[in-house]
Amino acid sequence: MDDAHDELAGRAQGGDRHAFTQLVRRYQDRVFHFILRMHGGRDEAMDLTQETFLKAFRALPGWQPEARFSTWLFQIARNATLDVLRRRQRIEFVSLDEYSAAGEAVDPRDGARLPDEKLADQQRMALLECALRALPPEQREVLLLRELEGMSYADIATTLGIEAGTVKSRLARARVAALAYYRHYAGEISND
Amino acid sequence: MTEPTTQHASEMLLSAYWDGELGAAEGQQVAVHLAACRSCAGRLVALQALSADFDKLPRETLGYDLAGVIEAQLPAAARPRARQHETRWWGPLTASIGAVASITIGIALGLALFGGAAVPRITAMSVFDTMPPGSLCVGLEACYDKGARK
Repeated sequence: MDDAHDELAGRAQGGDRHAFTQLVRRYQDRVFHFILRMHGGRDEAMDLTQETFLKAFRALPGWQPEARFSTWLFQIARNATLDVLRRRQRIEFVSLDEYSAAGEAVDPRDGARLPDEKLADQQRMALLECALRALPPEQREVLLLRELEGMSYADIATTLGIEAGTVKSRLARARVAALAYYRHYAGEISND
Repeated sequence: MTEPTTQHASEMLLSAYWDGELGAAEGQQVAVHLAACRSCAGRLVALQALSADFDKLPRETLGYDLAGVIEAQLPAAARPRARQHETRWWGPLTASIGAVASITIGIALGLALFGGAAVPRITAMSVFDTMPPGSLCVGLEACYDKGARK
């Protein structure tokens, strides 16, 4: 699939705007989802997604066909998101009480009282989203690229501009931190 | 399954093993260890559960066709590049004036050289004559006209 996208990118680079809009259609939700999980705010994630594609279009003459288009695009998305986070020096203190998956606050400590598996899943999703937001951006991005995008360590390294060995260690730390977050709240549940 | 006396697998090793990012030999070593170590096997299960949770995360979507929006903005985005090749209204005028001026100067020079007043003969190349220009050289004898010695 990536080869087909690279071919489209090549055509877009040659001035075929229809090819570029096709690429936008194919990647818009993936890029949006990644940015949303990185950033946290839906409205800004929408703006950043649009900005990512406009930046990509302007930068298209510099795209090298040797680089995979998806990797290159996520690099732009990631940089745009980090710029916003840095500019605002956004430091989040995530409270599970604030989290709302469907308009209602989900308290994981209510887990023991959840009636069925579906609600238990919702609780874990709430935990995961909170854990993600609690992670430092450099751990969050590596975890998202691996778990959501299924990128290889080499592709993550290219996207983030770091060594594959750093990806390996950073990913392991991110997972440990996320699991520690799980355990922390699971402990609270069991202690209730 | 017995607990081995050897060291447990590091988080980094387990994480890379789960991702299939270890080499064949290293991966085999971890697999052997996991078969014998309940603790590490349990940590691997936790990693698998975490990945499974990511799979269950609702896939958020934009909810509209961004391509249409982007398409409408592409000309604006491309304008800076297009502007470099844009032709201004005074461009052809400037070129025409330049062409007329070049032709006029050419004709004037032609008339001055071939059709007008006599051109003085240029004698600067006489430096290559047997006599030095102005016979000013007082150095080597070779500089003087051999005929003068006779």
